[in-house]
Amino acid sequence: MSFRSSITIVASPRPRVGKTLLARLLTDFHLHEGRLVTAFDLNAGERTLAQFLPDKTTAASVRDVNGQMALFDHLVAYEDITKIIDVGHEAYEAFFSLAQNIGFVDEARRRSIAVAILFMVAPDHTSVTAYRSLRERFTHATLAPVHNEILGPAQHRDKYPLAAGGPGVVRMAALAPGLRRYIETPPFSFADPRIADPTRIPDSAYAELERWLRRIYLEFRELDLRILLADLRSSIKFSSHSQ
Amino acid sequence: MAKPTVILVGADKGGVGKTTVARTLIDYFGAHQTPTRAFDTEWPRGTLKRFHSDLTEVVDVTSIPDQMKIFDTLGSAEAKVTIIDVRAGLLSATLQALTDIGFLESAKKGQITFAVFHILGSSIASLDEIAETARVVGDANYFLVKNFINNTTFFEWDPAVYNSYFKKIKGAEEIIIPKLNEMAFEQVEVASVPFVSFVGNKGAKGEAVNYSFVLRGYVRHWLGNVWGEYDRVKLVDMVSPKIESNVRQVAG
Repeated sequence: MSFRSSITIVASPRPRVGKTLLARLLTDFHLHEGRLVTAFDLNAGERTLAQFLPDKTTAASVRDVNGQMALFDHLVAYEDITKIIDVGHEAYEAFFSLAQNIGFVDEARRRSIAVAILFMVAPDHTSVTAYRSLRERFTHATLAPVHNEILGPAQHRDKYPLAAGGPGVVRMAALAPGLRRYIETPPFSFADPRIADPTRIPDSAYAELERWLRRIYLEFRELDLRILLADLRSSIKFSSHSQ
Repeated sequence: MAKPTVILVGADKGGVGKTTVARTLIDYFGAHQTPTRAFDTEWPRGTLKRFHSDLTEVVDVTSIPDQMKIFDTLGSAEAKVTIIDVRAGLLSATLQALTDIGFLESAKKGQITFAVFHILGSSIASLDEIAETARVVGDANYFLVKNFINNTTFFEWDPAVYNSYFKKIKGAEEIIIPKLNEMAFEQVEVASVPFVSFVGNKGAKGEAVNYSFVLRGYVRHWLGNVWGEYDRVKLVDMVSPKIESNVRQVAG
């Protein structure tokens, strides 16, 4: 991810597991790191990601071919921009079925674009089955489970096996309940320097928010490195298979 | 030297996707490095030729000179597979002509591999066609192709009636052509290139172009399923028979 173009897909077949918050954090993380980034909101209803980051987000849909072309043709375009996709639970199956059928991951690889799927873990059978299915269907993508700690401390490691040499579980630390009100009114960007303004967020709350962001960004940097390594390994295998 | 193969793609009804199936066959044999030529009987303006201009010739299959062009060259042509896209309404007449010139007899003797791809429409008339065609075709490799590419529902068909017709034909095989997304199909039509060129993002002259990745993906997925059907019926094995024959004698 450090020197290649990348696409990160945030997904879960379940609603209300923190997908959009993760997509927001990822988008802002890349902005914070000085990268060009664009996001795609595949939530049919409220388009929450687009509300929070209107300048960086494109509302997308895979319900018809025009929408599919607008999304996927843009994703594989030759441009040096990091892309984040927030796949809503309603679009989950349609998105991944289409991605599989049209050979999205392999095409991205051919164009030197790394693809990572961040999967929000949950203990339910639907999520576990969906994760295993993604592992089987997208062997050339990097798949990382994400544990949103606000959903509880449960360990799901046995249900969400990790790829050998791939990234570990990404931990999304829970934000203190008192701070949520500062970040839950759109539009809002964690990368916006104006959030340090005490008239917007009091100093003590801002310091707590910064600590939380640092923890999460540390996870993302670790993830970046893991994805890069996994991607290099996979590229070597992919090249030898293609020859 | 492998004996030549003639594949007739036809139906008595128009608009059932004969040319589409012929195009997939040409692509399939191309992918298997099997030299192939095609004759488009939509004379004087052929649709098949628009997509495969380099290996397609437009002929009037009812004229004797053009019949000679096709059948007298079977043994000498570099291409060992000859695909004939039969114009709507000419299937029965073509089969009759093949009987008259002794071609079907040669196929029966195993001197030529002969296959019929009978593209079925949704109407009852199609079932009558099966019976009529089967009577003439005899022991040829007979494939009944249900083509869903144009959204045919086969709604008029009673499965019991269909099966009764189907079972009348010894060794007949059914092939299913799945539906292809309309926009993807239209874009290939507009591009006027073989399906494999479209998938490979290539223009008519092999130049790099920029078709939609999504539409290419749809076509690739669909073509993979179609070829899966051809693999299932062992089409490559059919055109590469183990027994060799002297075709020049047959043609002469």
